[in-house]
Amino acid sequence: MYQKVKRMTKTMRIFHWINAFSILAAVITGFYIGHPYYQTLISEPAAYKYVMAYNRLIHFFAALLLDVVSIAIFYLYFASRFEKPIKKLIPNRQNIKEFWEVFLNLITLNRRKNFDSSHLDSFNAVYFTILHLLLVWMLLTGFYMYVQGLESGLSAIGSWWPALLHLATDWVGWLLGGHAGVRWWHHFTMWIILAWVAFHIYYQVWRTIFWKEGDIAIVFGGYKFKKVK
Amino acid sequence: MQFFDREHLRSIFTKPTNYINTNRGKEYYDNLYKKMEKRLNELKAQQPVKEAEIKFQELLETWELSRRDFLKWVSATTAMLMLPPQFEPLVAQAAEVMNRVPIIWINIQDCAGNTEALLRSASPTVDELILEYLSVEYQEVIMAAAGDQAEENLHKAVKDFDGKYLLFVEGSIPVGMPEAFTIGRHPKTGVEHVKHLAEHAAAVIAVGACACFGGVPAAYPNPTGAVGVMDIVKGKPIVNIPACPANPANITGVVIHYILTGELPELDSLLRPKFAFGYRIHDNCERRAHFDAGEFVEEWGDEGAKNNFCLYKMGCKGPFTFNNCSIVRYNEGTNWPIGVGRGCIGCSEPDFWDKYATERPLADSDIQPPGLHGVEATVDEVGLGILTATAIGIGVHAVASAIAGKKDETKEEQ
Repeated sequence: MYQKVKRMTKTMRIFHWINAFSILAAVITGFYIGHPYYQTLISEPAAYKYVMAYNRLIHFFAALLLDVVSIAIFYLYFASRFEKPIKKLIPNRQNIKEFWEVFLNLITLNRRKNFDSSHLDSFNAVYFTILHLLLVWMLLTGFYMYVQGLESGLSAIGSWWPALLHLATDWVGWLLGGHAGVRWWHHFTMWIILAWVAFHIYYQVWRTIFWKEGDIAIVFGGYKFKKVK
Repeated sequence: MQFFDREHLRSIFTKPTNYINTNRGKEYYDNLYKKMEKRLNELKAQQPVKEAEIKFQELLETWELSRRDFLKWVSATTAMLMLPPQFEPLVAQAAEVMNRVPIIWINIQDCAGNTEALLRSASPTVDELILEYLSVEYQEVIMAAAGDQAEENLHKAVKDFDGKYLLFVEGSIPVGMPEAFTIGRHPKTGVEHVKHLAEHAAAVIAVGACACFGGVPAAYPNPTGAVGVMDIVKGKPIVNIPACPANPANITGVVIHYILTGELPELDSLLRPKFAFGYRIHDNCERRAHFDAGEFVEEWGDEGAKNNFCLYKMGCKGPFTFNNCSIVRYNEGTNWPIGVGRGCIGCSEPDFWDKYATERPLADSDIQPPGLHGVEATVDEVGLGILTATAIGIGVHAVASAIAGKKDETKEEQ
């Protein structure tokens, strides 16, 4: 017997796919910006084609979506009416135990499963939080580099914006040794995020296969199934 | 509440950037004009500190520079200092009374490249002329005096103009090898020499990348422990005019500003004058359209190079480098590195030799920034390593799971 369990609301699913496609777009365009590996073959004057400009535009829009969605997710950590991930992040005895049990389930290849898999578990809550911390790091290093292009102190939306960016990110340059260091870390963090993504996809597929609860369907339909004994 | 006070909020959200307000209103400029006029009149009343017999107009003629050339220079300099056109007469007067301000110019760990850039070009410029005209009391490369006589000149200049002279320092300071640059019969170490002269100066002007941030001598492994002037001189106004060599236009700009106001110009966080280092060279680069278009030089001398495509892929550091070379250029606006088809090496940025100055793009270079070794090359290698490790981990786990899964099934069947 299986019981249908709702695990993601429509909003959560939209957020998931915005995140996924934004990260994909940012990685693809980021590779190009860091090292433009192809160039336009169209024999038009430079004023009519904008290969790098489009790459940067897509990169910044992806970053923008990630930042905005992350703010919404941060809010939902505390205030979601569906489930509050923050409750699974508090390092109390129950959560530490649950984290450990899910981890043991993973490394013992599903030989023990002493937790309730119908809700968000502590292991995943921590894992998703790590992604959002990495994204914050990308935001800080990214904006540090972005504001270099606004050195006039002016921007389309007013002088408060570059000033705010300087205020929020200048310490990053001090910490990492200027532009070159920031650029290095922005690029390196991408690899950590890619590793995160690889594990995330694997783990969700693995859970689907071994728990036989249809976990992979959560992100499409919002539901999974729980075995009822 | 103080925090929500309008002025306090304003101060938070107007954190100093390189922004220069180029229109501060009539009242501000009227006051500035009066202040500058007063200062110039005071300077005019003074005797020239040294070569009293030289008249500026005669000097122009000697160098075969017409009044018109001079006025063109005045307009350009006024604009560079971001002053409105009505200040042009004052800038012209300032150039003419420059010999009232004593200068001491010392060379420490350097190649004399900044002096060379100033003095040795095919045709003299007004900038070079002005530096000649300045009352240079001591300059190791160009002075006639030698030995005891030179030492005496320096001693006398420091005594006569105590607290009044501008100290120009060219070259990095070898704090790890302080005995280097100990010269003369009454020797002081290089470090002591700079400290002593800076103590008696009105202001210190570090000229060139070495004097500002250590430059090439401070590159890894920095055997002499080279640092910039601002790292050892404290309690004096310091201006950094980096680049390798420093642009003569920026040097005269700072001096003119000092003559006009008695103060140093607005500086950024690295003590560079904002009028010169307020923008990235990328922002005003003549090849910028090709960057946006994704048109890059792929190889030295290819079709892209012949068509002046962007040099980003050849390792141009323009997007990370603050300087006005894309506007002012070198040798009186004749040309500049990117104009001749090679990338910027970021010579006006700290640690440029270690971090920027390679002809390869940042993504390909195996140069050594602090911390982890290598830049993007290593990032990519380490990153790919992490990703491979993750993939291997996943693979091992998946295979193990599959085997374990079969065992479970067998058990169930039994």
